[in-house]
Amino acid sequence: MSQSKGGRGGAAAKGKKAGKAGSEEKREATLQAVACLIADDFQTRFLPFSLDKPRCLLPLANTPLIEYTLEFLAMNDVKEVFIYCGAHYEQIERYIQNSRWLPIAQSSPFTVLEFIRVADARSVGDFLRDLDGRGIIGGDFLLVHGDLVSNLSLEGALAAHRARREANRDSCMTMVLREAGDAEHHTKARTKPPIFIVDPRKNRCLHYEEINPFQADRYVDLDPTILENAEAEARIDLVDAQIDICTPDVLALWSESFDYELPRANFLHGVLKDWELNGKMIHTDIVTEGYSARATNLQMYDAISQDVLGGWAYPFTPDCNLLKGQTYHLRNDNVYQEDDVLVEDNAETIDAVIGRDTQVGSKSIIQNSIIGRNCKIGKNVRIINSFIWDDVEIHDDAVIEHAIIADTTHIGTGTAVREGSLVSYGVQIDGKLDIEASTVLSLHAHNRSPVESQPRVVGAQGKGAIFQYPEEDDAGAEDFEKFENSLIYNLDQFDIDGSSVSSLGDDDFSDDDSEAASATPSQPTSRSRLSSFASDDSGTPNFSSFHADAVHGLLEVLRGSMGDFDSEKLEFTSLRLANNASDVAMRKAVATAFVRRAVELMNAESSGLDAAKAAKEALTSRTGASSFVADVGVGGDSVSEQLEFALAVQKACVSSTKVIEVGKAGNLLAAMLQQMYDLDVLEEEGLIAWWEDARGKEGEVMSVVRAKCQQLIEWLENAEEESDEDDDEDSD
Amino acid sequence: MATQKGGYTPSLEKFLDSLKSRPVQASVELLISLLKRRQIKGSEACATATAHILLQVVARDKWTNVDQLLGRIQLVGRKLVTAQPHELATGNIVRRVLGLIRDEASEERNDATTDSPRPASPSPSPSASASVPAPSHASSPPKPARPPTLASIGSFARTQSMFNLLSDPNLFPPTGSNASTPGQVSGASTPILNPQATNVSALRSEVIDGIQEIMDEIKMVDEQVQTYADIFIHPGDYILVYQPSRTVQKFLTRAALKRKFTVFLAIDPSSATSSEALYASLLKSMASNGSSVITVLNAGLMAYMSRVDKVILGARAITAQGGVIVDSGGAAIARAARERRRTVIVLGGVYKLSPESKLLSESRVEWGDPSKYVSFADGSLVSHVRVKNAVSEFLPADQVDTYITNLGAHAQENLHTIIADHYKEEDINFDLYGKAQRISGGEIE
Repeated sequence: MSQSKGGRGGAAAKGKKAGKAGSEEKREATLQAVACLIADDFQTRFLPFSLDKPRCLLPLANTPLIEYTLEFLAMNDVKEVFIYCGAHYEQIERYIQNSRWLPIAQSSPFTVLEFIRVADARSVGDFLRDLDGRGIIGGDFLLVHGDLVSNLSLEGALAAHRARREANRDSCMTMVLREAGDAEHHTKARTKPPIFIVDPRKNRCLHYEEINPFQADRYVDLDPTILENAEAEARIDLVDAQIDICTPDVLALWSESFDYELPRANFLHGVLKDWELNGKMIHTDIVTEGYSARATNLQMYDAISQDVLGGWAYPFTPDCNLLKGQTYHLRNDNVYQEDDVLVEDNAETIDAVIGRDTQVGSKSIIQNSIIGRNCKIGKNVRIINSFIWDDVEIHDDAVIEHAIIADTTHIGTGTAVREGSLVSYGVQIDGKLDIEASTVLSLHAHNRSPVESQPRVVGAQGKGAIFQYPEEDDAGAEDFEKFENSLIYNLDQFDIDGSSVSSLGDDDFSDDDSEAASATPSQPTSRSRLSSFASDDSGTPNFSSFHADAVHGLLEVLRGSMGDFDSEKLEFTSLRLANNASDVAMRKAVATAFVRRAVELMNAESSGLDAAKAAKEALTSRTGASSFVADVGVGGDSVSEQLEFALAVQKACVSSTKVIEVGKAGNLLAAMLQQMYDLDVLEEEGLIAWWEDARGKEGEVMSVVRAKCQQLIEWLENAEEESDEDDDEDSD
Repeated sequence: MATQKGGYTPSLEKFLDSLKSRPVQASVELLISLLKRRQIKGSEACATATAHILLQVVARDKWTNVDQLLGRIQLVGRKLVTAQPHELATGNIVRRVLGLIRDEASEERNDATTDSPRPASPSPSPSASASVPAPSHASSPPKPARPPTLASIGSFARTQSMFNLLSDPNLFPPTGSNASTPGQVSGASTPILNPQATNVSALRSEVIDGIQEIMDEIKMVDEQVQTYADIFIHPGDYILVYQPSRTVQKFLTRAALKRKFTVFLAIDPSSATSSEALYASLLKSMASNGSSVITVLNAGLMAYMSRVDKVILGARAITAQGGVIVDSGGAAIARAARERRRTVIVLGGVYKLSPESKLLSESRVEWGDPSKYVSFADGSLVSHVRVKNAVSEFLPADQVDTYITNLGAHAQENLHTIIADHYKEEDINFDLYGKAQRISGGEIE
């Protein structure tokens, strides 16, 4: 019988810390796991609930999320667990101290369970760099997050990972992904759908990208080297629960890249992009059985709760009674009920989880909902698709539809709480009120200071006020936050240009004028597997890869998501040197990036900036942007260089007509040039030279876009005449 | 959820391997979570694991008198049962061990008080139970294939339970110390009040022996059940089996050695792909002996039913009243067979026979992962349709004709006598379930 040495080895290592200098065999035997239990990923998706409690302690189907994660680790015979905590680490530590997971407790399947605190950590990246510094990881380890719900057996993935590592030391990581079909699926990440470009024969991941629904264009820039692989599939049908089997090399990679923050958007994207440099390969293991998902935001929380209730995470159903003292039993109509629950005979419960000591009054309807312990639900109450946590009082005739009601809240008689509302801890809502859809109520502001009650919202006797999310300086980011923080996936409230991901171009501003298939995001028509890619028809491969990388980097900076222009300048220059890019390519990249940013600003926000404002925002919102354009984009004071840059801007605007109307593109061009003129990036001579240059008039679209600048040029010519004397001093 | 052997995923083998190196309490907790995670599943695995863990409790836990030991076993047993209430075998083994302890303790006490020599225990020859005359037709209730001595004892049957247990399989020569004198009816009396009189270490070794015999019994079930194959399968029979368990497969294989018959192998469409490997050995041995196997998908079963003579199902558990818990899909087949008046035979070891009478109807059926029927990738179905997949199903007593256990073939009416032979009344009534079961205890079948 092929019994593994894993079990015995694990047992032998019991009580001893296995990390250091273990022989090869030891490392084979003990699978280490680092459970990265980051309370909120340094993000604010679970506000206002995560103010008081870390995300991993929030109840999912009345069991804290972290229980599912630890249970998953135990299920795969992980022996050593290191937990990194972000916010609320004291609560997590206290929770674990009192749980059955502590290695001192005989019930614990782990031999080591350690908390590691990192004082100044600001991201997951900081944790992993810290882990690298500690040198406690000797062999392969598993990287998971504290909000993971999964019943996958990693057996196959681990074996495949080992085999690959034996064959090639550079295979450093295996991501375990769950297939979830092409169609819309509630468990697939909808706020930022990931795209994995995978070589299906070797399971190697070639490229990774996240699509932001607020992105103006919905293209993915692909490195042409990807096309050198015989086959490549673009997969958007995967649920990424971020279960990674890593070798210690992964930690080294994290340490090398000190600015990586997120395991996917930064690390994975970056490592794959620099494949030619570091030679590291990352593989995927796409499973078609089992369940895995991360409760990364409230929408996922909702989805996973439904899946658990529906039995998809079997054996992790409520009647598995993971927590000590739980006594759930499955009754008729798919109702999981604990002991001492009092449901009146004429109350109706379907598809529900009801915790201990909860009372449900007569004629109440509870449907597809999860109700915690010790709740008092009055008569004639309707609770649909909702999450009621512990110690909640809901008085007669109340209606709760698709909302989250946190601990110790009171909902008054006859009050209705509508779809998407979040009611945080301790809020009291008076009777006979109508809480509008997507209202967020809390006793605290986002900085934890108590807020004054708003009787207008919660009634005269009520307590609580509308919760204000932390301000974001970037208007676009705020919209996105709002979108990510809401319980209900709904893009209707946002004004989004709905082109789907169905066509991929490796150069998205290529001359290809074909319109992207248009579809609203809620009904994507996109296919998941695309074996064909638009061919590269602009410039040499080198140039194209430089262009894509440069534009991507610049856009990141412009969006304010990372870095600043000082470092970007450095990076840009090195990128240029690495690719031996021409001046033309540089100009094109800079112009493209800024125009794309402006287009994003014009398109994406519900506030809808006009062309002038968008141009101004793009060029001025980040410090150093204008000087960057002047130094890198234009590159000199000579008229010909200015001409070339203006031309590049024009071309960029012309390509942007794929996502905005031609008229708008013209306006944008005029606004961009005007703005650059105001910022002294471009001068009159340059602009007038551009205006007269024949290349700017080639083609129909070029001239249409250009026409909008007529006014600007006329004004410039006039200004020049009027201030002739001043110009004498300036010009040389 | 794939549970391959070897590698990292904990399994029954690894659990048993690790038992010795782990403190008892830790093993208990480990088993609880393995049961909860369904990493140990199936009645045989659960029964084996339970027997092993109880052996550890008896052998390694500190206890100074019988009451303590009983309390300890009850505590552990209750924990195990609540961890996976759908596996009735767990509770059965717990009750068997409790009964065993009571028996041994009463003997110890009797030995201490009376020095009367034991009568020579009648030891039926191994062939005795196997050669019990076969019923002329399978649908007629067969005589219990039990040594006639015991059946006639009647009121003493309970006292003799331990003896029964040991002598019936016939493979273990009854150890002299285990047979109690019929005259001293004291086995049913509960706690032993004079711990001083009880020699703890002797009792310990006796109980350990007893548990080991239970473990052997579980192991031997397949071999013992298959000895009845020739009696129930006749040449030229058309037999329908549904997702045959190992017990059923061995039964067929054994019959094929002597007889030529046809087997309809019914397979659930959802598991059709993996079935080839599972039933390969069955197919091979059937073919080599000239019997034919026809694979049928579950959907078209009704059409074959008119050709079928007998339906053989493997039991997950058998209740005292004769109801059977089978793999989901089995109940429909039994109903179809009933429509056509075909014989339904249920196979399963005695350890699957549960005295539990306070079962909620819901807890007989375990609901599993819907992905057997609906792909998780089908987003709209996952989001909008609640799909339920029963892992097991309950087959009411009236749809079963014959039960074949390692003790022989039984009719429904005889089941309660077997239960009385194997379990003590106080253990039958002992509540292994939580409060929920007690409250709604009225909902009995």
